[in-house]
Amino acid sequence: MRRASPTDKVNLAQSTVLLVDHNQQSLDVLSSIFHGFGVKEQIKCSATEEAARIVQARNIDLILIDCSMPGMDGCDFISWLRRENPLPARFTPVIMLTGHAAESKVSKSRNCGSSFIVTKPLTPTVLLQRILWLGADARELVESDTYVGPDRRVRNFGPPVGTAGRRAGDLSAHLGAATDANMDQSDIDMMMKPMRISL
Amino acid sequence: MTEARQFKFSSSLSRKLQVPGGRTVGEADRLAREGLEVHRESVMRTIDVTLAELEDLSTARPADAGTQVYALASKVIDLVAYFDTGPLHEAAYSLCELSDRMLAGRHWQWPPVVVHIQALRLILSDGCRRGRTSEILLEGLRSLSARR
Repeated sequence: MRRASPTDKVNLAQSTVLLVDHNQQSLDVLSSIFHGFGVKEQIKCSATEEAARIVQARNIDLILIDCSMPGMDGCDFISWLRRENPLPARFTPVIMLTGHAAESKVSKSRNCGSSFIVTKPLTPTVLLQRILWLGADARELVESDTYVGPDRRVRNFGPPVGTAGRRAGDLSAHLGAATDANMDQSDIDMMMKPMRISL
Repeated sequence: MTEARQFKFSSSLSRKLQVPGGRTVGEADRLAREGLEVHRESVMRTIDVTLAELEDLSTARPADAGTQVYALASKVIDLVAYFDTGPLHEAAYSLCELSDRMLAGRHWQWPPVVVHIQALRLILSDGCRRGRTSEILLEGLRSLSARR
């Protein structure tokens, strides 16, 4: 997707955004940024348990959550959201913000089903571009025993050469040897130049 | 194991973003930055207090200090996240890396931690400016972290 230019329009006035961070000061900063983006309805939470109650009671358009929440952390919250809730709450876009990625949390973050993981430090420009990207997100959603969330393949180049791929629809990028004879030029011309025929 | 199910789903965010109106990206960015600046002074004060807490920890050295050091360094990263504090963020990140690795390896050592805390204080006192001094400091921290 192309990067939005400064003259492009963004309309977040009708969106309800849930901001979740255990640090009140960070929450206030984030809230000021979203106010600048034009978001009129913001819900601020300092605990994931409270955020969980809110997503079950209200329609939320976007969630921003800090990864290192105490108790139920950001990853646990997203896993819970993706597995334990009905539509449309189940697939609410979620941006997870992370400061330091502790080694123990890297795979957990990858597998929780967030729409985006954004590492700090970040500027309002980066955050807005990520939101716009999510708005135009054409990725499919995946539900399996081990993962629920947006397809983690942002670009699909097929499975690695020589492997069958893990999904039913995976086609190998390796073409292999031809199984039929080459088409002759007249057949190719027929395909390229449609002609009027009388029936 | 059952097969993965794949499907399209249009979020309410996508639909609402397509509604005509709103402001330009440039204007939204400018207003967000203005809103951000209001918090700069109070955030820098909180960082100062957090560094004082790290200094107290390094003096008292209680049994569970490792997790507290990591939590306080993470707090610095979280607070400076939206402000351009260049070397301060890098030094705090290095302290997080160092303490995370030492906690995972159950081998806590204070000297490299103390050097990180002193570097953080120096960078903050210098107004978080990037320059030759901060580069030398960060280089030292990186070599300390790499050695662990």
